[in-house]
Amino acid sequence: MNLEKLLYSAYGFSSFRPGQREIIEQVLAGKDVIALLPTGMGKSICYQLPAKILPNSVLIISPLLSLMQDQVAQLKKMGEKSVVAINSFLKPEDKEKVWSNLGSYKFIFVSPEMLVQPYVKQKLQQIRISLLVADEAHCISQWGFDFRPDYLRISEILPALNFPQVLALTATATDKVTEEIREYLSLKEPYIYRHPMDRENIVYDIKKFDDQRDKLEFLKGFICKFSGPGIIYAGTRKKSQELSSLLAEQGVSSAFYHGGMEHQDRVFVQQQFQNGELQWICSTNAFGMGVHIPNIRHVIHFQLPTSIEGYVQEVGRAGRDGQPALATLLYAQGDEALLESLVMDDLPTQHEIEAVYRNGTAATHLIDQGIVRETAFRVASYWITKLPLEGVNKQMELLRRGKWEQAAKIRELLSLESCLRSYIISCFDQQLADKPSNCCINDGINYEVFAEFLPPAEKQQPLDWQDRLRVILPI
Amino acid sequence: MLFTELIMAIMKAVDRQRTLTSPFHLIKGKKSGQTIQDIGYFNLYPYFGVLPKLDKKAYDQAVQRLFMEGYLLENEQVIELTPKALDAEVAPSPLNGWKYRGNEIIFFQRLSLIVQTLSNTSQGIKIFDPIVNKEEVQAWVKMYLKRIGFRDLTVVQTFKEQLLATLTNTEISEIHKMILMERLSGHELSGLTWQQIADSKELAILDAQLMFVEALHGWMAAIEHAKPSLLIGLMEGIIQQSSLTETAKRTEKLFERGFSLEQIASLRQLKTSTIEDHFVELAMNDPYFNFTPFVDPQLYEAIIAESRQRKTKRLRDIKEHLPQASYFQIRLALAIREEQG
Repeated sequence: MNLEKLLYSAYGFSSFRPGQREIIEQVLAGKDVIALLPTGMGKSICYQLPAKILPNSVLIISPLLSLMQDQVAQLKKMGEKSVVAINSFLKPEDKEKVWSNLGSYKFIFVSPEMLVQPYVKQKLQQIRISLLVADEAHCISQWGFDFRPDYLRISEILPALNFPQVLALTATATDKVTEEIREYLSLKEPYIYRHPMDRENIVYDIKKFDDQRDKLEFLKGFICKFSGPGIIYAGTRKKSQELSSLLAEQGVSSAFYHGGMEHQDRVFVQQQFQNGELQWICSTNAFGMGVHIPNIRHVIHFQLPTSIEGYVQEVGRAGRDGQPALATLLYAQGDEALLESLVMDDLPTQHEIEAVYRNGTAATHLIDQGIVRETAFRVASYWITKLPLEGVNKQMELLRRGKWEQAAKIRELLSLESCLRSYIISCFDQQLADKPSNCCINDGINYEVFAEFLPPAEKQQPLDWQDRLRVILPI
Repeated sequence: MLFTELIMAIMKAVDRQRTLTSPFHLIKGKKSGQTIQDIGYFNLYPYFGVLPKLDKKAYDQAVQRLFMEGYLLENEQVIELTPKALDAEVAPSPLNGWKYRGNEIIFFQRLSLIVQTLSNTSQGIKIFDPIVNKEEVQAWVKMYLKRIGFRDLTVVQTFKEQLLATLTNTEISEIHKMILMERLSGHELSGLTWQQIADSKELAILDAQLMFVEALHGWMAAIEHAKPSLLIGLMEGIIQQSSLTETAKRTEKLFERGFSLEQIASLRQLKTSTIEDHFVELAMNDPYFNFTPFVDPQLYEAIIAESRQRKTKRLRDIKEHLPQASYFQIRLALAIREEQG
């Protein structure tokens, strides 16, 4: 089978991107595979293409609802019709059709919490599964920056499905995390593909200030000097709105984006950014997943990221077209205090653990009443089903220490006098092979290349409704 | 109509008879007995459920503004408007909340996806990210587009002309029409967020959202009236045939089969007070509702006379003078009076 030909006929791409071919060949050879591919390197193709050859269904376990929806939408956009998503959004009237034809779907997406429901489990046992894909597999690691306890439940389904062939995909994993993935998924001798984590066209910059005002002034100057498209990550929803207004005052087109906005508004902002109607997005970390914009030139962190892994993932949204992109980390004295509170934010406190313990893991009213925070509830209720109370507290202590270590790495990055790129790569247990000439602030940055990018031509917004209709339907 | 004008319009109708939060429930479209029957008592049909996502905090802030601007007097129990408020005109509005029941959003989602598709396909673009990802809307639009033969450019032309003509003939301001258009997306022109729309018109977000619903209600009425060949198709299933809530309908069916109120409550495993709410709703909607199983005709007359004489629809005021009547009987009688009296 000529894989290139298949790639072209099935998905319209004329060549593989680095890593894809190796991974696909191993999958087709029947091996379990753990694949580390940086964001934007086309992870999905690694199971989409084998699905064209494998005889039966491909089961994809996806930890984030929004990500799952995006993947389903992307598959459908490519003309794939045999797709089903089993999550809490599955409508009762569709259920019967889905369950009775489950085995006929080529791509079955399942969320981890649905996976372990007895009925779902039983239905999955009745069909033939060629490949189980664990997407965003780093979520399995309690040391990872994005730990999702529910995700551990994959290990519970494996025996029930007779240990199918597994492909674990992630964009970010240290050796330690890779080992955890291998262990949890019971993979004996997996083929492990590690793509070099370094993105050589991304230049790393850090700017330090005495106070918040200076930081804001710098940002004002920055967005007047350099043009987008760019993302500015703010720590909070409120901050994202403030920064967006600040940009608007400078006459620079921007919009804010955060999880508190209604769905349609978020779609509009994405679309505006994609269409080049906006230069900047000021956002919480909610923005980025499922955003497919190749020419993002800047990622600015107005607030400190909480882990190197998270930082690399956010920065990795820039420069997917291979052109130079600048990652600017802004720090003002005192920012680490916020960092520490953010780092600890997701973990349940002892008080919260006890509340969940007393009321049981079904007591979601604790969230509504504001007694336990949502993510804290998720983490606490998972561990309570696994360990006695004493053990849960110990577990949290371990996790807390792990998070401290991650935050410590960010602090180290800030204080570094040597190459930032080398340090970041070393956090993933890799070594830098080739150092690009435009590397990082500690090795000197040539900003000229970024100043050369010109702002996109301002589009005139139509002035009255008839005009707007004419632009939308210019027929 | 601005958001505070909406609140005022409702308050004027229920002045001194309802609490400060009752307009909130009405605007949100709460399906409780009290809210549903108030629509009938006070003729508030247009305003029912026009902002289903309304936040209580935002409502409270608007009420505070009304106090500060001298439209409301402090009163622990009920709404008490000042003469200034009573003299103010109710802003005219095409709102028709009871009729459309929030389905205007489905209408608009269909329209958004159709317009986006036509915008792209007519400009030679075959692949794009759909602006609406609800599967039932996507499935509906797919069928609709196939039916009208959307690849034919003259069809696109006709669709656009019908849109232009009906909206031109809708009696709403140009700003209303602009807001509608700004919530639509096409190839290379994206819809605007509420914040962007509000900023550009120096409106509050809630005002812009209310104007959007007004514009939709006005326009949908114009479409229903003119019945343009392509656009009328979008109204499919949008207008509820029965104005009853689903749950009240189920109670009605059981009652018609001869079950008593108490039997229905135990059959449906609902509180009797809930079933009572259903009967009040049924009474409101049926001019020939037979109340005699629930209220003795003499008591009925006495309740109506009391309400007329004291010019009140407050249950407690009537109950005080007619202690032998239950609250349910008073509510039922008042509901019937609106329609039959």
